[in-house]
Amino acid sequence: MEEKPQSARSNGGEGRRRGAAGLENSKPRDRHMIPVWFFVGVILLFSGLVILATGIYEFSSPPPTVLASLHPALWWGALLTLIGGIYVYVYLPKKS
Amino acid sequence: MNLSLSIPAALLWFAAPGTAPAGQRLIALRWPDLLIVGFYFAMVLGIGIYLKRYTKSGEDFFLAGREMTAWVAGLSFLSANLGALELMGWAASAYQYGILAAHWYWVGAIPAMLFLGIVMMPFYYISKTHSVPGYLQLRYGESTRALSAISFAFMTVLMSGINMYAMALVMKVVLGWNIHFSIWVSSITVAIYVAMGGLFSAIFNEVLQFFLIWLGALLIPILGLVEAGGWSGLVQRIHQNLPQGDYTHLWRTMGHFGDNPMGIHWTGIVMGLGWVISFGYWTTDFLVVQRVFAAKDIRAAKMAPIIGSFFKMAVPFIVILPGLLGLGLLNYTLVPEKVAAVTGQHSYNEVLPLMLARYCGPGLLGLGITALIAGFMSGMAGNVSAFATVWTYDLYRPFVRKGAADSHYLKMGRWCTILGVMISIGTAYVVMQFGSIMDYVQALFSIFIAPLFGTVLLGMLWKRVTPAAGFWGLLSGSVSSIAMFLLVKFDHSMLAYIALSSQAKDMAENMYRALWSWLICVIVTLVVTAFTKPKPVEELAGLVYGCTELPSEGHLPLWRRPIFWAGVSLALFLVLQWIFW
Repeated sequence: MEEKPQSARSNGGEGRRRGAAGLENSKPRDRHMIPVWFFVGVILLFSGLVILATGIYEFSSPPPTVLASLHPALWWGALLTLIGGIYVYVYLPKKS
Repeated sequence: MNLSLSIPAALLWFAAPGTAPAGQRLIALRWPDLLIVGFYFAMVLGIGIYLKRYTKSGEDFFLAGREMTAWVAGLSFLSANLGALELMGWAASAYQYGILAAHWYWVGAIPAMLFLGIVMMPFYYISKTHSVPGYLQLRYGESTRALSAISFAFMTVLMSGINMYAMALVMKVVLGWNIHFSIWVSSITVAIYVAMGGLFSAIFNEVLQFFLIWLGALLIPILGLVEAGGWSGLVQRIHQNLPQGDYTHLWRTMGHFGDNPMGIHWTGIVMGLGWVISFGYWTTDFLVVQRVFAAKDIRAAKMAPIIGSFFKMAVPFIVILPGLLGLGLLNYTLVPEKVAAVTGQHSYNEVLPLMLARYCGPGLLGLGITALIAGFMSGMAGNVSAFATVWTYDLYRPFVRKGAADSHYLKMGRWCTILGVMISIGTAYVVMQFGSIMDYVQALFSIFIAPLFGTVLLGMLWKRVTPAAGFWGLLSGSVSSIAMFLLVKFDHSMLAYIALSSQAKDMAENMYRALWSWLICVIVTLVVTAFTKPKPVEELAGLVYGCTELPSEGHLPLWRRPIFWAGVSLALFLVLQWIFW
């Protein structure tokens, strides 16, 4: 099966003009799909909360890792929670 | 709840000078880790199930409906390249070769990504082809497409198998998981979510994985630099540990093969890696280019690789730096895979998980492991979705069943995804027999990618190149590349002739073999062109420079023009070369 390029599918120059005009797609299909950023937010928020809780617990039971005294789980968990929370809030699917 | 860890074996090794024992897991996952890993698996499967309802046509399944924004396409473009192999393999290479490994991220990526966005993407996009072999069919004809599609399908399943092997290594070393269990569970998960949502699902998950990889791996260099006393402290420690070599400069040791740990000359890096392999991979490897094909319009398609280039430039921070930190901070020596198998020491390939275990406690370790699993899955999904597209559109449709309904090809794509995973699993078991992961991959790149780049580039930029020239150029380049590979495989002394020095090492061979096979492809193409008849110009509209009306960006403000951001990216790239010269 021979495939035709966009410009060759239509009538000569018409196709070329169509290709040239397509710098930006003005009417993308609206599928009402949940944005990928929402999923990003959910997983970061979940991971962040788990790590944050772990970091708090580690005050009483520090892990035997190098530089554990800096409490990386605490501030990294807080950072992930913050980023994830922002993404979830901004991209939360609207019912309408 | 009990979060207290049993002291990881790896940490005991850190405290004890000498060599580190292998054959036991580095760390045990606790419930926070398992929660994060488990949630990740549920999430990727959930996304696949959710997106199945939107995957109703071939264009949806194979090209994600061509409606991705520049950011989504750009992050996915990069994420498809960030496999577990990328993370572990290049951290291992950084431990072995020092900062020279960063060449694969900078000179070996940035110029090519910008070239794809600015020069080549308009032709791919305007032609509305579904794949790189599809473009070759439009430009040269059916035989060139078939040759390219077959070699791509072969390379893709091999790459996928390598990714699986790398992932199984992580699981074995870090968690003590059975290697077969790791391969099958991860692969089946990828098969399910890609078979359901096609490229939609692959792209969505790749964006997710992009964040996980960065946020999961970023702590290692941050804490590593704190421990080492910053970059200057790390350089000082590396010089103390390895006074005989220069592991912290990019270019100043490249004047002679014997002056650097990689055993390569700057001409090999610039011409072999920076030109042929890099441009070949980033502009013609359908695994990554497919993500840009899914862009919603031509500006998004041009911007996607440019956006990707900024993040690509930063990847050495999470991949190369951990390898260098291993050189400076570990108080035992890592060894090649073959030696490790005999002596029980840890191999280069384990440097990233070792550094992860050094700094990450419960929760953070789960995130780091999830990042590695995500890296594996993104690479695997990239391979599988590209394989399904090329098989269905470039082999099955033209040569097996022409003119079937779109729903038939959609069904074929889903089944082909599962088949591709199964073949990859088989390949993974074959790959286990090879000692060095990276050398093998480099060999694959140079065998198939280098000549393909010559064929696509000439066809895209010069209207005189004939269909016969395209086919014979590609064939001769591929055959000569395989011949050189086999020549060195059976007689290692031939390396001195191919890489132009008796001091050249395996990595140099890959660079020069790529360069020679590309040159052979180009020369044969030019010679055959001189004696054969070109296509009429009207048939080249939308495919070739000079026959295609490219859309103007003159009406856009400067900050919205792809060329502006490409310039910014190029300037940053040059600054990095200067800093680490």
